[in-house]
Amino acid sequence: MDEHDHDHGAEHHPIPPSASELRARALEALLIDKGLVTADAIDAVVEMYEHDVGPQNGAKVVARAWTDLAYKERLLADGTSAIAELGFGGMEGTMVVVENTPTVHNMIVCTLCSCYPWPVLGMPPTWYKSAAYRSRAVAEPRSVLAEFNVELDPSVEIRVWDSSAEARYLVLPQRPSGTEGMSEEQLAALVPRDAMIGTGKAREPERLP
Amino acid sequence: MTDRAVIDQVDAALVGSAKLPRDNGVLVFEEPWQGRALGMGVVAMERFGITREEFRDALIVAIASHPEEADETVATAYYAAWLDALEATLSARALLISEEGAT
Repeated sequence: MDEHDHDHGAEHHPIPPSASELRARALEALLIDKGLVTADAIDAVVEMYEHDVGPQNGAKVVARAWTDLAYKERLLADGTSAIAELGFGGMEGTMVVVENTPTVHNMIVCTLCSCYPWPVLGMPPTWYKSAAYRSRAVAEPRSVLAEFNVELDPSVEIRVWDSSAEARYLVLPQRPSGTEGMSEEQLAALVPRDAMIGTGKAREPERLP
Repeated sequence: MTDRAVIDQVDAALVGSAKLPRDNGVLVFEEPWQGRALGMGVVAMERFGITREEFRDALIVAIASHPEEADETVATAYYAAWLDALEATLSARALLISEEGAT
């Protein structure tokens, strides 16, 4: 087999990529260069798996926080430990949970690369890694949110949290009205991935016939 | 375009040690490259006529020849073996020969 001797500097990345990561990148670049596959084709498959991994873990954390005030307090005080209580670990860095309220809306971004809370949200969506989102989320968060169909009252303060190797963020969305008496499991089903990135909101429950 | 059914068929074909790493039924990815590797594998099987069984067998061989190391997680070891299997099946079709070597 021919040996590729890549010598990329990766100073911008807070954690040096592993040998396997470099191999995966080199193989993808080679296949794309040779015109054998397109990045879009791979993206499409990854997106399908992304739904399979799904943000179920994060949704369970949110549902627990909505139903258990003491848990919510622990979650906001020490995200890593409170998330580990539910059996979700393997976090790189510290997990910080930020709460949306009627007056504050939080959203997360990684301006440097694509740091993301994998263990609770699964694979990051392709747009999360795009240069456009990474720069615009900071420069013009309100317009970005509007593009995600998140309309906020002008009086609502938007806080943008920049993820890093040291700190990963998870947004605790507001509990929708009309969900009193719902079980944790039912509540978790109302929490889409984007609500926990801050580019969406929790769903309103469907009216039962 | 790859559709959902293909994903399910790949999942069904990967049995034994080649089973995709899951936790509580949820696929485990620890880093983005692992998802990219999986995506590349599925696209390669579709495009280059690599049967799921051929890929699975290559994967089982790769896993057997690189046992998980002490500082490696299950998903890291699995997807490293996945890259081995992908390179092996692509090489068998002479798809990885560099341009300079091509005639």
